[in-house]
Amino acid sequence: MTGYGLRHAARMERIKLRSVRSTWWLAIAAVVSMAATGAGVGLGYRSHTPVATAAQILNNSLGGAIVAQLLLGALGVLMVTGEYGTGMIRSTFAAVPRRRIVLAAKVAVCGGAALTVGLVASFAGYLSGQVAIRGTAIPAASIGEPAILRAVVLTGVYLGATALIGVGIGTIVRHSGAAIGTLFGLLFVPMIVAGLFGASGIAVGRFVPLLMLLNSIAVTSPVPGLFAGWISVLLMCGYAGVAVLCGGVILRCRDA
Amino acid sequence: MGAETPSRSRVVSGFRRPTGLPSVGRVIELRELTKRYGDRVAVDGLSVRVRPGVVTGFLGPNGSGKSTTIRMILGLDAPDRGEALVGGVRYPDLDWPLKTVGALFDAGAFHPGRSGRAHLAALAASNDIPGSRVDEVLRIVGLSDAAGRRAGTYSLGMRQRLGVAVALLGDPAVLVLDEPANGLDPEGIRWVRDLLRGLAAEGRTVFVSSHLIAEMALTADRLVIIGRGRLLAETTVDELAAGGDSLEEAFFRLTSQATDYRAVGAS
Repeated sequence: MTGYGLRHAARMERIKLRSVRSTWWLAIAAVVSMAATGAGVGLGYRSHTPVATAAQILNNSLGGAIVAQLLLGALGVLMVTGEYGTGMIRSTFAAVPRRRIVLAAKVAVCGGAALTVGLVASFAGYLSGQVAIRGTAIPAASIGEPAILRAVVLTGVYLGATALIGVGIGTIVRHSGAAIGTLFGLLFVPMIVAGLFGASGIAVGRFVPLLMLLNSIAVTSPVPGLFAGWISVLLMCGYAGVAVLCGGVILRCRDA
Repeated sequence: MGAETPSRSRVVSGFRRPTGLPSVGRVIELRELTKRYGDRVAVDGLSVRVRPGVVTGFLGPNGSGKSTTIRMILGLDAPDRGEALVGGVRYPDLDWPLKTVGALFDAGAFHPGRSGRAHLAALAASNDIPGSRVDEVLRIVGLSDAAGRRAGTYSLGMRQRLGVAVALLGDPAVLVLDEPANGLDPEGIRWVRDLLRGLAAEGRTVFVSSHLIAEMALTADRLVIIGRGRLLAETTVDELAAGGDSLEEAFFRLTSQATDYRAVGAS
């Protein structure tokens, strides 16, 4: 075997990701924000009349993903821009001059980590919602039910994809503040724009990340007019792929 | 020159004489290297051969293109024309870059939130360098006790030592260092000087940039002098000083036509 490959670059990226505090803070914050939202929703519905349905509790307890997506998106952004901002990128590219291998390694490592954290956070949101309604007349939602499990898992995958969109935008924009601003803008602005179209906005809205999350992914059954949850998640992965590919093209022709 | 005994140089670099590459594989060769930034030509048709076994100083006033040249050698910037080769190979085509070329960048090329040890461990992993080598280079540069601290808390001297540790990580036969003495106290400067001379005495190629002629006179054997991106002289310290006047005067004479700016009354 001659020379380094993706395996070596991925080992480097894993050590880099684990060895800065921001990674752990963002991951913990993502899980806590979803757990707190789930608990808050559960507690809020305890004395609600009429008695809430299982679907209402689940859909709302996964709402913390709105915050978690920003935190994990920032994690993805910082994995790239943190290197440009500090000069670390020169050490990285001197060690692995084939830059697309570096990007591929970041995608693999960040994707794996964010998917894991996303699934944990999503499950934490579900679980704390269920714990908070214990002892009330509200029916429990079992994770064994396909519709419940699907919503929890797809929400985790959505969060992983958001982090990869962050990696792509970070590679294109290179500046932490500007990249995080761009990411947040891309997540929120299309939703506002889709709202301007009124009733016909749903034709556009079903392609918009946040609307997909709240109406198709993190719900037991999608709102009519939107795609099925797994199609929405695939769309998110597609967006992530486009962002990363654009980053890869730009990375090659630009001086570090 | 040649004052280092083999056992002394062993202590300095902590490593054996490199045998992996034939000595021709250790030559840095710049061929008509050219880089433009917009209208400004940073490096202009630079052709130089840097040989193993001696310390080659890379001298020039501020803004003369030293850092840009080094960035092109290391594949960070793409030349507009010409090429930079290490042992006949472009840097991006090297199989194990860190085991071939050790680089020191001017100022902190590390993440301040990461410990010195994790920084080295990550880079070692990328080139399949064993983890034991991380502790070894930390010992060589004297950072063992501070290795667990975040690099952002290091003093300037410690940051330079961390950079040197990265350069030595892969036991490379070629070293390229951008202003290694920057920010070091007199003891640190002497340490870098002894280290570089020891590495060259082991048969390695050592290419070190500086804008300080006095320091280079003590460290380097050969000199490559540039101004405004052009080669002004390829010479030795002895030849440069042989003109009769001081080394400093000789340097000013060479670069006087090629400085971007000059204070009133100077020269």
